[in-house]
Amino acid sequence: MISLASYLVISLVLFLVGIMVMMVRKNIVAILLGIELVLNAAALNFVAYSKFVTQNLDGHIFSLFIIVVAAAEAAVGLAIVIRFFQIKETIHVDEATQLRN
Amino acid sequence: MFLHLLFLLSALLTLAGAAMVLITRNIMHSCIYLLASLIGVAGLYATLGADFVAVTQIMVYVGGIVILMLFAVMLTGGKDFVSKAQHLLGLAPTMGNRWTYTVGGLVALVFLFTNIHLLRRLGGMGQVKNDGAFAPTVDQIGNLLLTEHVLAFEISSVLLLGALVGAALIARPRHERSEK
Amino acid sequence: MEYTIASVAPIFLCPFLAFVINAFIGHRLPRHGDWLSVLAIFISFLFAARIFGDFVFGQFATDYYVHKVFDWFDVSGGGVDFKVAMGVYIDNMGAVMLLMVTGAAFLITLFSTWYMHDDPRYGRFFTYVSLFTSAMLGLVLSDNLLSVFIFWEIMGFCSYSLIGFYYEKEKAGDASLKAFMTTRVGDVFFLLGIVAIWQVVGSVTFVDIYAAIGAGKFAGLQIMGVSLTTFAAFCIFMGTIGKSAQFPLQVWLPDAMMGPTPCSALIHAATMVAAGVYLSLRTYPLMVAGDLTHFIALIGAITAFGAATIALVQTDLKAVLAFSTISQLGYMVLGVGVGSYNAAFMHLITHAVFKACLFLSAGSVIHAVHEQEMPKLGGLRHKLPYTFIAMMCCTLAIAGVPFFAGFVSKDRILGDALYWGTMAGQSKVWMIVPILGFAGAFLTAFYMFRMMFLVFFGKPRDHHLYDHAHHEHIGVNSNVPLLIFTVFTLGFWYCGTLTGQSFGKVFGGKTEWFKVLIEAPQLEKFAGRTREPFSMTDTRPRAELPHAHYHHQSGYVGPGAENEHGIHHAHTIGAIASIVIAFGGILLAFLMYIQGSVRPWADKFPALTRALQRRYYFDDLYVGILIQKAMIPFNRGLSWFDMGVYDRFAVDGWASVNRVFFKASKWFDDVVIDAVGVDGTGVAVNLFNLVLRIVQSGKIQFYFIVLVVTLAGYILAL
Repeated sequence: MISLASYLVISLVLFLVGIMVMMVRKNIVAILLGIELVLNAAALNFVAYSKFVTQNLDGHIFSLFIIVVAAAEAAVGLAIVIRFFQIKETIHVDEATQLRN
Repeated sequence: MFLHLLFLLSALLTLAGAAMVLITRNIMHSCIYLLASLIGVAGLYATLGADFVAVTQIMVYVGGIVILMLFAVMLTGGKDFVSKAQHLLGLAPTMGNRWTYTVGGLVALVFLFTNIHLLRRLGGMGQVKNDGAFAPTVDQIGNLLLTEHVLAFEISSVLLLGALVGAALIARPRHERSEK
Repeated sequence: MEYTIASVAPIFLCPFLAFVINAFIGHRLPRHGDWLSVLAIFISFLFAARIFGDFVFGQFATDYYVHKVFDWFDVSGGGVDFKVAMGVYIDNMGAVMLLMVTGAAFLITLFSTWYMHDDPRYGRFFTYVSLFTSAMLGLVLSDNLLSVFIFWEIMGFCSYSLIGFYYEKEKAGDASLKAFMTTRVGDVFFLLGIVAIWQVVGSVTFVDIYAAIGAGKFAGLQIMGVSLTTFAAFCIFMGTIGKSAQFPLQVWLPDAMMGPTPCSALIHAATMVAAGVYLSLRTYPLMVAGDLTHFIALIGAITAFGAATIALVQTDLKAVLAFSTISQLGYMVLGVGVGSYNAAFMHLITHAVFKACLFLSAGSVIHAVHEQEMPKLGGLRHKLPYTFIAMMCCTLAIAGVPFFAGFVSKDRILGDALYWGTMAGQSKVWMIVPILGFAGAFLTAFYMFRMMFLVFFGKPRDHHLYDHAHHEHIGVNSNVPLLIFTVFTLGFWYCGTLTGQSFGKVFGGKTEWFKVLIEAPQLEKFAGRTREPFSMTDTRPRAELPHAHYHHQSGYVGPGAENEHGIHHAHTIGAIASIVIAFGGILLAFLMYIQGSVRPWADKFPALTRALQRRYYFDDLYVGILIQKAMIPFNRGLSWFDMGVYDRFAVDGWASVNRVFFKASKWFDDVVIDAVGVDGTGVAVNLFNLVLRIVQSGKIQFYFIVLVVTLAGYILAL
């Protein structure tokens, strides 16, 4: 009953929610949260495939690396957020418009 | 039996948590809900027999990243950050532009239907082969990391170094400029 | 002798070269380049003398000729031939004319080095004289009417320049313009005649014209109801009327005396006015074919007599000579008209000699006393002996006294006229021509001797002038030309006899060269004539050239020429009448002015005198009525049309049209191009800008949304 499809559906929904979060939320940190959700969805996808399709552990390893990269990226992203706050005194994403026009 | 239950709980937790991340106005609450969602994903890993990955997920993601985000939120006055809510049909307090919701919803629907269409082709591909036994994966992962995927392993270490240095560089305090 | 470019061209080229050099650097040459002109004309004289010697002493037949051509321009093409060839045509008449022209021009140029020596524009005079001489020589040498016309016009220009030489005097300017315009009237007709001839014959070379007339090409052609031959002949003769100052275009010659005296001598006595008669002589077959000879004779007679009458009352020395020139030209034309071809040409030559000498002597007198009015002169024969001798001989010649050249030629003309008028089988109304001729001869003798008596004889009427008159010295350039001319006024140079009537032969009949050589062109001899190219070598066949024989021919080629006995009879009567008339005229003048026994008749006929003094009111007619009353209003009308109508509508009207176009294009420019094109582009860009600005919001989430949408699109495309 627990099939590959169910895991894929879960990862899909997670992915979409993550994208929605990225699009909707106005807090830059919230956007980073959305990014984490997306990455998790991808990792879940890999592990599910590793269990159901390929029967080896490549998916697991890849998920590990996804986690590593996500950590690194979260660190750097938050550093940027902090820098942004130091300049703009706010973390509202609409203030990040220096690329305007 | 236990497996199904675990699966169900984990899935529920994951999706509920993700939905709440989307909906909650308060950023601190969003972070906690993300944390819940990630624990749910760890549970899902467990049902898949990926014990090492599940544990790593909890340790790194939950214990590290989300905490980091909470720190960032606290450092940037996020507690006081309340975004202006725009009520969509008065049903749920939402944030952001209604257009964004529209477009995002459409995109989501697109993904949904496409994937369901693809998945139907998969059909009865995945049945759990080995219903009972879950072998521990730590040894194998360790082996693979140092033999087949050693390159990625090394590079990821460099990546972490880079992230470390970069983050420190970007966010360092800049009180006295002339000192540098 | 070889007739090549080298032996013929210098005749024309030397004076022309002198003209060019004098025109450009004359004022830098020593003595302003007068020696260059004199030298050039002397060289031409030598060449002409050589040709003359070859023709005369070789004594070739009357139809001996040298005809060389070179192509001038050839614009034929497309089946239509249009080739204009210029050439040199020398026959007996041409050779004699060449010698006369070069000789007279040389002597006159030599004389003017003395006469004009204190003139500020000394050098310019010689420039003009050289140009004129080259043009005249070119005319004599030319073989076709077109080059005749070209040289004709060049001479007209030189005449204009020289008459107006003293341009400070307003009258001189008016006179030069009058001369040019009057001859222009004749020249227009001349050109018309050339065109008419070209239309029929296809070429304007004399030889071709003669051949065409002989072949009957002119027969039966009509233009505007008149026979084409008559029309062409009349038009050509109008050229003669203009240039040779015949009635009715004689008005310019008396006024032409405003120019310097040597110019009067050269142009208005010896050469240019003779060119008109020369033209008539060359185109004589055309005149005959066009039945114009009666008209020509009449014009000549009227001119001869009319001018003689006007000369009776003139008081200006040069005016008397001017009218006498017109009168003598009338005689020449009369001779052409009655068919006295030979005698007319002889009179041309002899008149050139003695009239030039008369003018030069008059110049000498004027130079001595600085006065031209005869009533103020008198008794000058003691002061100016050599001039007196020269003038006396020439006056005797012009009066028609035997032994002198004038008698020979004029008498022959009058004899032929008498024959023509009485016995040649025409209606008696044409008797008027010889009658007028003889009357004119009487008057000529009278007024010429009146002039002599008033100037050289009697007591000086103005003692102041007389005392201050320069005494005369012999000088190479002052008296010697006069004396050389004087020598040639004797009759025997031209005919072998002392009197020209076969009495008293001097060197035997062999030297009646003039009569032998000059003959009217006989058409049948021109049918098959050839011409050679004008080159450095003479390409004529070295055949035996026919010799001429002296046989007793009359030189009369008019109607009834076969009646030799009748001609001889008429000549005898004419000779006797001429002698009687001449002496009668001299006697009358003597009685009137020396003895004083017969008082001048001017008082008895006041109206006639006034008419004569006003030159028969011709000037009043032309200037007062024709020009003032007819031409000027006509001109004004034309100019009104031009300015008021044509300019206003056709020219200025375009300005209004342009203004409309300008406004339209301005609108187009402003609205369409500027507003729509230029500004519109800016506005469009601005509009797009507004649109695009939305995209460039700078918002991260917006960019992300775009990215996601694109991704969805890709997935859909799967």
